[in-house]
Amino acid sequence: MRVLVIDPDKARAALVAEGLADVKPLEVRSAPSFEEVETELEAFAPDVIVIACDSPDRDTLENLRERTAHNPRPVVMFVDRSAPGLADAAIQAGVAAYVVDGLVANRVRSVLEVALTRFQLMQKLRGDLAKAQADLAARKTIDRAKGLLMKERGLDEDTAYQLLRKLAMDSGRPLAAVAADLVAYAKVLKGGQE
Amino acid sequence: MSPAKLTLEKAAITLGFVPLTDCALLVVAKERGLFAAEGLQVSLSREPSWANVRDKVALGLLDGAHMLAPMALALTLGVGSDPTPMAAPMALNVNGSSLGVSTALFDSMPPASDLTGAALKQALDRRRAEGKAPAAFAVVFPHSLHAYMLRHWLAQAGVDPDADVRITVVPPPRMPERVAAGDIDGFCVGAPWGGAIEASGAGRMLLHGAQFWPGAPDKVLGVTGAWAEAHPQTLQALLRALIRAAVWSDAPENEAELAALLARPEYLYVPAAALGRALSKANPFGLRFHAGGAGWPRREHALWLFSQMRRWGQVGPGGAAAAEAVCRPDLYAQAAAAAGVAVAEPAALAPFYDGSVFDPSEVGD
Repeated sequence: MRVLVIDPDKARAALVAEGLADVKPLEVRSAPSFEEVETELEAFAPDVIVIACDSPDRDTLENLRERTAHNPRPVVMFVDRSAPGLADAAIQAGVAAYVVDGLVANRVRSVLEVALTRFQLMQKLRGDLAKAQADLAARKTIDRAKGLLMKERGLDEDTAYQLLRKLAMDSGRPLAAVAADLVAYAKVLKGGQE
Repeated sequence: MSPAKLTLEKAAITLGFVPLTDCALLVVAKERGLFAAEGLQVSLSREPSWANVRDKVALGLLDGAHMLAPMALALTLGVGSDPTPMAAPMALNVNGSSLGVSTALFDSMPPASDLTGAALKQALDRRRAEGKAPAAFAVVFPHSLHAYMLRHWLAQAGVDPDADVRITVVPPPRMPERVAAGDIDGFCVGAPWGGAIEASGAGRMLLHGAQFWPGAPDKVLGVTGAWAEAHPQTLQALLRALIRAAVWSDAPENEAELAALLARPEYLYVPAAALGRALSKANPFGLRFHAGGAGWPRREHALWLFSQMRRWGQVGPGGAAAAEAVCRPDLYAQAAAAAGVAVAEPAALAPFYDGSVFDPSEVGD
């Protein structure tokens, strides 16, 4: 089976390819956009194209049905008949598949299921990373606010932290937000930009 | 809680849109509180492609969407996807589409004195005689007014749209860069993207939608038939808000504010100045939302679109009645009456740019 994966996210495309390893025989090609593979499409002749939903290339693919012997047709809809819920889950996770030639429904389904779980995994990884980065940034801000309080008010670290926490609780706002305000105000009071 | 809110089957609604000037009514109804006044909490979801809009509406991930009028027909007839009966209870605009060519192709054309594609045909013939590859034209979706406008216009000029040129699909916001890069030689796209191509110097417009066929069907509000049936009060509330948005959007004094709203990053993300021309009431080719009965979802229009789908082999016979039934002027009329908004009766079908007139009774099954 030949699978073409179109995803601007190279890491995610690689993840999908890796997940398909059990499918044999298999040839996978990945490209960030359809434009890049358009000319080689006929030579590669994929059986199925897996594409990220947020790729605007989906509309270009839809058009192929009309002008080439290859007849790509969107498969998330077609799979829906045999597997209720899979199409919604796929679109929601951000993946669609196009079957190019008469391919057995079950095989498309397994390809789509792999893509689906890989897309979700990637989403989770990315969510975790974003959260970790946000946490790190928040901690830095809190440290700076603490440092300010220690310097300006002559407090020890623990007391400075307790004061910040009290400010946060009294105003009903997150600790990091209060700390960010404090750092920003301190800049203004000192008359500096940074 | 207002009385209206009590009767809504669903108050939190998500509507999809593609960044184009003609998504205006959704944006206006949301940002000016017209949805909220009906007790609706509407989120707008910006979609990168028409295929996404289609699939998400069909699967119920969106309650409804700004949709190409022929897409509602294609979904109903199962062209390109599983059949999903659709309802189009309101047209969201007339005008705004334009057909043009790259500056290079334009410069190879003799000066044109009329709106026919005769000058383009000469340039294309010479191009073929020189042994060059066929010119590539881009539209926004296989089932779109843009595709049928381009095909009709080329065919009338003696250019076979399937054999003499290559027709491809490029999403609207990407059209300017593809023309500028020389990947495509011609385009048919909605505002503001046609104007952006011309303003950049990369291309020239040859025919406006308003010239091709005054009042031609462009975008509609599309919901599934099942959704319309299950949410009659919600749909009426949506329509009342959109009809009021259409009246507001057509008022000349609101032009600047409308452009500023649409220009925002979450909507079109282009400079407001780039939107002015297509929104100007002084521009006879500019968009209209309410005037002249622009909001009617017309069955004659559905029949013309169906006849074009038949003509270009996208669909087999036997779907005319189903295509026609997608349009729900009854729901539109009910909402306009309840909103207390006067709506002009739909005018007689205008002739095409070449003087021909569409006769709905000539469309077969």
